[in-house]
Amino acid sequence: MTQVARPKPRRLDAFELPSEPGNERLALARVAECVRGLGLPDGRLEKLKTAVAEATMNAIEHGNKNRAEIPVEVEVTQNGDEIVVAISDQGGDGDASGDSSDAAEEPDLLKKLDGGQSPRGWGLFLIRNMVDAMDITTNGQRHTIWLTMRTGGAAHGEHV
Amino acid sequence: MASMCEATTRALPGAAVIELSGEVDGSAATVLTEAYAQAVTPDSDPGTVVLDFAAVDYINSTGIALIVSVLARARAERRKVVACGLSPHYREIFDITRLSDFIELFPDLDHAVSQLTGPAA
Repeated sequence: MTQVARPKPRRLDAFELPSEPGNERLALARVAECVRGLGLPDGRLEKLKTAVAEATMNAIEHGNKNRAEIPVEVEVTQNGDEIVVAISDQGGDGDASGDSSDAAEEPDLLKKLDGGQSPRGWGLFLIRNMVDAMDITTNGQRHTIWLTMRTGGAAHGEHV
Repeated sequence: MASMCEATTRALPGAAVIELSGEVDGSAATVLTEAYAQAVTPDSDPGTVVLDFAAVDYINSTGIALIVSVLARARAERRKVVACGLSPHYREIFDITRLSDFIELFPDLDHAVSQLTGPAA
């Protein structure tokens, strides 16, 4: 049997952003530019952009508490047909996974409309539904969310 | 952070249209609240509020929360909310969040208006 060697992961870009509101737009624009030409269909690129924006926003607000001097770190890697975006903050010892309602319970629109849940709390829910895989790791203070998107195929029965 | 969202309102028979442009994120809260207050007055008292997203290029989770708040307020006032002009990506987000269960979606403002003001079938 012939074995096909899997290509080594290739780092496409790595950058830092000050933890200031609105900088998630810079992250999504740079990631979108970085993955251009890798074969991600338009619909899936839009999903990746939304996931990157939400994860960066969480890192700025909840991980680094809007302290501009603490950067959000973004790394983009290609591993075969997977694009992996790692977004790291320094909120590993606290609630860095999203706003409290994100962490507490799944968003329920009817409850939100009836006042039983905050209107907020969509961040992690959106991320999970945008990418093929979402993983979270914590190493001391360092908290990282890993977003994986395959360049081929569609997840979640989506259109591409 | 200054808002990158703008809103203009106009009245139709039985409906109020809020045309949004730019970015619907957390900074759009005041813009959206003021637009709703301008569109929905005791005098106009529209049965339907139309949110036109045709000129919106970005909606994030806090923007979704603002739309939820508008919908909650309209429901409490027994008004219908419809939306138009969403890109396929944001239509899908309206589906995923179930907003489209409560907000009827139209491709564009013309379709929304003709449905709201056209003759009954």
